[in-house]
Amino acid sequence: MSTVAAQEVRVEAAEARAGALRDGLLRTGLGLGLGFILLPLVIIVAYSFSSVAYGVFPPPGLSWRWYTNLLHQGGFQGAFLRSVGIGLAATALAVVSGTLSALALVRARLRGQDLLRAFLLSPIVMPKIGLGVGWFIFFARLGLQGGVVPLILAHTIVILPFVITIVAANLVGLDPSLEEAAQDLGASPPTVLWRIVLPQIRVGMAISALLAFIVSFDQVESSIFLTRGENNTLPIEMFLYMEKWQDPTIAALSALLIVFAGALVAGVVLISRGTDLRRVLFREAASPQPQRSR
Amino acid sequence: MRIGRAAAAWLLAPALAMMAVLYVVPLAIYFVNSFHLFRDGRILPVWTLHTYIAFFSDPFHYKVIGASLRLALTVTALAILTGYPLSYALHTRVRNPSARAAIALLLFSPLVVSVVVRTYGWFILLANQGLVNAALRWAGLITEPLALLFNQRGVVISLTHILMPFAIFPIYSVLGRLDATLKEAAQDLGADWWQSFVRITLPLTMPGVVAAALICFTLALSAFVTPQLLGGGRVQVLPSTVYNSTVEINWPEGAVAGLTLLVLSVLAVWSLQSVLRRLPSA
Repeated sequence: MSTVAAQEVRVEAAEARAGALRDGLLRTGLGLGLGFILLPLVIIVAYSFSSVAYGVFPPPGLSWRWYTNLLHQGGFQGAFLRSVGIGLAATALAVVSGTLSALALVRARLRGQDLLRAFLLSPIVMPKIGLGVGWFIFFARLGLQGGVVPLILAHTIVILPFVITIVAANLVGLDPSLEEAAQDLGASPPTVLWRIVLPQIRVGMAISALLAFIVSFDQVESSIFLTRGENNTLPIEMFLYMEKWQDPTIAALSALLIVFAGALVAGVVLISRGTDLRRVLFREAASPQPQRSR
Repeated sequence: MRIGRAAAAWLLAPALAMMAVLYVVPLAIYFVNSFHLFRDGRILPVWTLHTYIAFFSDPFHYKVIGASLRLALTVTALAILTGYPLSYALHTRVRNPSARAAIALLLFSPLVVSVVVRTYGWFILLANQGLVNAALRWAGLITEPLALLFNQRGVVISLTHILMPFAIFPIYSVLGRLDATLKEAAQDLGADWWQSFVRITLPLTMPGVVAAALICFTLALSAFVTPQLLGGGRVQVLPSTVYNSTVEINWPEGAVAGLTLLVLSVLAVWSLQSVLRRLPSA
């Protein structure tokens, strides 16, 4: 009897040790993974203050020279403003048309609904470089070369699926009784949409707009054939610069972009405060499964 | 509120009109170009399979296709093998909800920074005198710097880093939907940690793993910026063929290469989605 109890205690102690080891390993792994994920961004910021033009760790001294050098590179400033403008225009087009489509896809019973949805979401899986060549030939045939219009239109197609997915996911999770109540009280369908539905998906729409802007801001493959120097977007200007030179001017610019991105992330945190991002982004995926009763 | 068919048609009209003009037509033109002929620096608008035949009888192109598939497979496997434990650790070992949200945000934050910037970060890290080589030398593992740039290694490391958030995203979200009582039940019935992980957690999170594989594989297959900048011309993948052919105004060859890329992506999506449909879901 006592030997069995002693054995149980020993087994429990071994299990506790294994559990502690597992805890330690998982926590260490999480720390290492976080370090790995953030390392390239941290090193860019560190490197942007390097006093020398060649890559060496640790840098022999610190300086602001790459930031002052950046000020004299007019190309990057123009490209940044162009990228922001293109991103804002494409995001506006995609959020309006995407929200309307998401409403139709979620709230109407249509023939071929799955096919329609697959079609609207298909640009996500298209290799961007292939789309880029297609747009290059298309706009060349139309005589629409240079300028920002082809870039805005191309980016709108690239980001439309992101808006539709996120807005649709938010629409699926809504409580239908609110809309029914409004309709029972005499509100017309457009009023219900404007006063009841849209206010409830505001956070989802804002997040989809931010994501759309970020994706537009990062387009290289889809846009590289649509730019010809005078209308380069920022990532393309950087890409072409990096193919030729690798001095820390790019690091200074990248560091500024990281700060810009940090501000965008802070924006997401502020507008989604109180809502679980996992739910906003994946509610749709979760909802078709009936809730398991406990 | 239900929406009628007529109203739905109006709601869909702007997006569908844009998709028709700016997506279907360009893709159709692209497809048509693959049947044209490139000769003496000009494109002849004739209908021929010549470009296809020339493309697929050149052993170099098979080498490029093989390299693309190998790269995509390696990087997908690495992203999932690192992303799964990370998601699991975050979900099970960080109890404080705001700490958990903060770490999740940090893990996903690189997505907000341009791929060009992230690739540049690895360019600095992997240089002969960069941090990685300095650390390896300090640890006494190497005496000569390890060549990590302008070859496959740097591209693999950097792409794994770029795709990791895409692997973590779906796995972490499936973990969040997992019914914790199932694991408790298994442990009450005497299963140890390993048994309950292998028999309960892992199978139920497989949909997240397959979704992660789907995203990572298609993104890796069509990655262009990273192989171009870190491969230094020595890592040829299908997107580089599309780029080089198009720059040389050989649109037909670019179109055939691009369509090959597209078919491979669609095949990958289709096969992984059929796997996904057969899996039990959490």
